[in-house]
Amino acid sequence: MSNAQAQKVHNISLRIQSDAADVPAARHAIESFYQSHGFDKQACEDVGLCLNEALANIIRHAYKEQPSRPIQIDAALSPDSELTIRIRDWGNGVNPAALPPTPAANDPLTPGGLGMICLRQMMDIVVFTPQPDGMLLEMKRKKRSPEPQNQQASAT
Amino acid sequence: MTQPIRPSNAKVNSELVPATRVEGDAVLVTVRGEIDLHNSPELRNALLEMLNQRQPKRLILNLAQVPYMDSSAIAVLVEALQKLRKIGGKLYLTNLQPRVKGLLEIARLDTIFVLAATDDEALKK
Repeated sequence: MSNAQAQKVHNISLRIQSDAADVPAARHAIESFYQSHGFDKQACEDVGLCLNEALANIIRHAYKEQPSRPIQIDAALSPDSELTIRIRDWGNGVNPAALPPTPAANDPLTPGGLGMICLRQMMDIVVFTPQPDGMLLEMKRKKRSPEPQNQQASAT
Repeated sequence: MTQPIRPSNAKVNSELVPATRVEGDAVLVTVRGEIDLHNSPELRNALLEMLNQRQPKRLILNLAQVPYMDSSAIAVLVEALQKLRKIGGKLYLTNLQPRVKGLLEIARLDTIFVLAATDDEALKK
């Protein structure tokens, strides 16, 4: 790989509306983007779920179910195989990370909070940065080493 | 004895819930497709309508054709479980795909729902 190739940052940008019907297509696009750049199936599925949950939070809470409000999604893959997703909304600016833990954190039968649990478990870095007119969420995940192959098979 | 839900209840069935049948005290429901914020209300309506109509002792959801669920779908399952508990019923999830099972584990619900490999296994539990 040449230096130029090694330093190339791959990215994809999507602009969707605050409509639940827009979420599946955005998730599929981001999963496909990372899968086409060598991330394994598990990583792509984790990232897809985190995107889904972040968008659901924006639609439900930041935009309070108002339709047709903008959401900007920028996904990138850096030369050191770190994936970054930035999600910008122009909603109420409430920082989900600053809210007290939901009861769901202790009781799995209490609704709410599962989306944030997914983000914290599946991504390496989750940062909400309040903007003057909304919120920017940045999520990062490193490409992880594959599970060790079958020792016997690899020795032959 | 197996019987399909009678025609008057046919509106319960849909693209997302294509098949429902009764077997003894159990209602078996086939669910199909990715379930997320967009269509989880449809699943909720279908399940709650069925629960209100039949008040089954056992609700068995076959999720073989569900490759993906998000937290809104999980919330629907939890609501169905709580409704069932109120009438002394149980909720069984069968044929889970890995991605769905993984989310149940993260939600710490894998030990709260009754999981079974097949519908037959659930019926024997």
